[in-house]
Amino acid sequence: MSVTLMGPARNRVDGRLKVTGAAKYSVEFEVPKCAYGWTVESNIAKGKITTIDTKAAQALPGVLAILTHLNTPKFKTAPKKEGASGIRSEERFPLNDDDVHYAGQYVALVVSETIEQARHAASLVRVSYAPEEPLLTMEAAEHKAEKPKKNNDEHVQIKKGDVEAALKDASLVKIEQTYITPTETHNPIEMSGTIAVWEGDQKLTLYDATQFVKGVQNILANAFGLEIENVRIICPFVGGAFGCKGAVWMHVFLAAMAAKVAGVPVKMHVTRRNMFVGTGHRTPTRQTLSLAATRDGKLQAIQHVSETLTSMVGKFTESCGARSTGLMYESPAIRVEETVYPVNVATPTFMRAPGECPGTYALECAMDELAIALKMDPVALRLANHADNHPTKNVPFSAKHLKEAYQLGADKFGWSKRNRDPGSMRDGDLLVGWGMATATYPAHKMSAAAKVQLRVNGTATVQCATHDLGTGAYTAFTQISSEQLGLPFENVTFELGKSDFPFGPVAGGSNSTGTVGTAIHEVAGLLHKALAELAVKDSKSPLFNLKTDDIAMIAPGRIGLKADSAKADAYVDILKRAGKDSIDVQSERKPPEENKKQAFQSWGAHFCEVKIDPILPRVQVTRVVSVMNCGRVVSAKTARSQIIGGVVMGIGMALTEETYYDPPTGLPVTRNLADYHVPTNADVPEIDVAFVGEPDFAFNPIGARGMGEIGITGITAAIANAVYHATGKRIRDLPITPDKLI
Amino acid sequence: MNEDSEPLDPGDLPDIDPAGALDDLLLFGNPETRRRFLKQVAGTSAAITLGPALMRMGSAGAAEVPAPPANVASVGTAAVHLKINGKVHALEIDPRVTLLDALRERLNLTGSKKGCDHGQCGACTVLVNGRRINSCLSFAVTHEGDEITTIEGLANGEELHPVQAAFIEHDGFQCGYCTPGQICSAVALLKEGHAKTDSEIREWMSGNLCRCGAYPNIVAAIKEAQGKSGGPKGA
Repeated sequence: MSVTLMGPARNRVDGRLKVTGAAKYSVEFEVPKCAYGWTVESNIAKGKITTIDTKAAQALPGVLAILTHLNTPKFKTAPKKEGASGIRSEERFPLNDDDVHYAGQYVALVVSETIEQARHAASLVRVSYAPEEPLLTMEAAEHKAEKPKKNNDEHVQIKKGDVEAALKDASLVKIEQTYITPTETHNPIEMSGTIAVWEGDQKLTLYDATQFVKGVQNILANAFGLEIENVRIICPFVGGAFGCKGAVWMHVFLAAMAAKVAGVPVKMHVTRRNMFVGTGHRTPTRQTLSLAATRDGKLQAIQHVSETLTSMVGKFTESCGARSTGLMYESPAIRVEETVYPVNVATPTFMRAPGECPGTYALECAMDELAIALKMDPVALRLANHADNHPTKNVPFSAKHLKEAYQLGADKFGWSKRNRDPGSMRDGDLLVGWGMATATYPAHKMSAAAKVQLRVNGTATVQCATHDLGTGAYTAFTQISSEQLGLPFENVTFELGKSDFPFGPVAGGSNSTGTVGTAIHEVAGLLHKALAELAVKDSKSPLFNLKTDDIAMIAPGRIGLKADSAKADAYVDILKRAGKDSIDVQSERKPPEENKKQAFQSWGAHFCEVKIDPILPRVQVTRVVSVMNCGRVVSAKTARSQIIGGVVMGIGMALTEETYYDPPTGLPVTRNLADYHVPTNADVPEIDVAFVGEPDFAFNPIGARGMGEIGITGITAAIANAVYHATGKRIRDLPITPDKLI
Repeated sequence: MNEDSEPLDPGDLPDIDPAGALDDLLLFGNPETRRRFLKQVAGTSAAITLGPALMRMGSAGAAEVPAPPANVASVGTAAVHLKINGKVHALEIDPRVTLLDALRERLNLTGSKKGCDHGQCGACTVLVNGRRINSCLSFAVTHEGDEITTIEGLANGEELHPVQAAFIEHDGFQCGYCTPGQICSAVALLKEGHAKTDSEIREWMSGNLCRCGAYPNIVAAIKEAQGKSGGPKGA
């Protein structure tokens, strides 16, 4: 069976629910007698709470409870178990002590009958503090800086060859520059939210907006000392996440605790304001790139020194260098260094391509600067340093088709018509700039299990506790189930978003399609085997008395003898003759098989055009071509949308997005969507997406490497490079706002 | 099982405050309020049409709807009849309730989304007398007699509105959360005649944010719907 690069371009199976308003997101489930929680946040970045006056709030009608550190029962900290799932970025519990670690920290929670009452009551809670001097910058936190050896299992301090010698070699062309990215905040349009419902004191159900239902289940069971099967998490739809719904944040613990204390279900819909402090952000980065190359453009050394912030109550780090310079270009000498400074700012977390995104921004800008210094075309420079092997692991990349991506992208864009001189291209009065950059993201593999029920009418339901964040998972997994089970697409229903289902990992790291797809592949094999076992015992079956090991799916809806497809039987006939209405099969969760002989990584090339008014230099991105090499494209329409989405978020990162903190107090200033500028429709041009390559079956049986994150990598550099090409001005601190170009 | 995870009765808290200083703070709410809230039952024999959520909540006195006050006090309720998708709902609500929260929290019409509560994202866009508005910026009690159309009211039975169908065809969404607002906005946009060019569509749709970045597909969907739309139903 030959599998093509491109899967079918189907409409989303959940499309109708979404366009009619029928799709239910977490806080939209109808729960009887549900009360509302509203938080009070600290307005200092460091110190202790001295008093909390709730008298005025208490007197308001409708107030059911006010939780503070003085009355909130203690959460439990379970010992870390091997294989236990769940993610926490902020590693503390809310309202369990009087310490304030960052501005915006929840210090009280009002529970009331209505939103209006809760909100008003919360505004009347008076909190006094004994403030202390917060650490807010890298400079202030110098004495607390750390150089972590590893980020989870990944080495983040890398040294290969003699970087210093190359950087001192006078015969080489060198570039050394520092690039700054600010704090960026995910801001999915659905704000995080949870409804917590207790049934007695031992059973808890959460309708939670999450990227990881099994993780929330495990962490909440631990925090309340419950049996894991007595905690249910329900999340059929997520209104965007981009990383901020991967960890369990404070509002989830609070909703569950408030519901327990007040004795009623409690709904907490995090405010937009609190999405800037309570659910993570991308940490700011300062990255210094040093490149040395021969006159013909061969890199002799790359050094990538990155400095980032983390919080006082978590260890999340954004590994910029390891995830870009550590693998992108061939060079005899590579050094990656990473330093992390803990500060009194809310906790950062994964945001679309954590590490790769800011890392590729810095490296791909530096490569552009090197191309200019070498008087070389930027595409030619990248081709000259193309890595067939992983540059620091020294194993070959599997199914890497980056050269084709450059070629196709350049052709589609018309790159050959580019005049290399900055400021040389115009459209009327407007300056025109063309820039490009490489995109990359690793292929991550996790573990999952799936369950299938095949019915005698030829329909099937497949279940896994995975998630659809808008990624198209419902559609892609229906497609994979249809292919692997051998049933028409219309006959398959895929269900996700419930902790009752077999294990699904966090929907993060672009792993889901491959991981859950592999579980579907496995359960389909088990189903075929179960059908074979029925058939070989059935004297009326053409497969009677044959060996089950010799039998497999040989055509849609049929199993048969591998060696002789004339001997076959239909699924529905087997079930009918066995007198069964349906058959259920479930796969087991196994650790993923690691192939260490190859490196698995996705690649791509972005080409973009900007137009800039020279008088008021506002940058408009007018054209983007993105060519991606991600293994098999399971669901063509939703895959294209994923890449477009990454590019759009990259436009925001390049031009408008910055979470700004008040320097003396550490309070976030940009805490709403009028001050924090995500791209609008008017900011986004037509985006031409294409895919190259082949299914990567060395990686998994689906051949897919995932594509949720790669779209945002490199695009910010492509835009910054285009801005340089248009204006001759190199802006090395994002976002590229008009004031920086004047 | 663990002692600490026993259910907590607000009146029987762990002794975290032996000195009794907390007693003054009444940290666990007015006991009267809490008892009333817990005792409220769903169901009512009131003759007027009440939304299921309101009946369920009862917090605004659904079972015993008081006579509307002559003048609305700062704390209290006000009567309003909301005509939504052709159906009249009589509500007795806190005058601070936004139209969005009336839809979502009182009437279980959760198709209209809350994305910022500040009129900045457009996810809550509904049609009021044919015009698109941010329902989070509008108090419910100000809509007596208005014709309100939400995403739930656009389709004609099973037949989708052309804008809805075009959004599916062009994948004009990903997570789907901004989508009801985008679609309501697009329906009004077509009626306004502001969809003559791509750049006009982009400009006039820029009040509806989509963080998934479906904008190019939204533009394509609106262009297609423009060719097919027979005018929005109920708008």
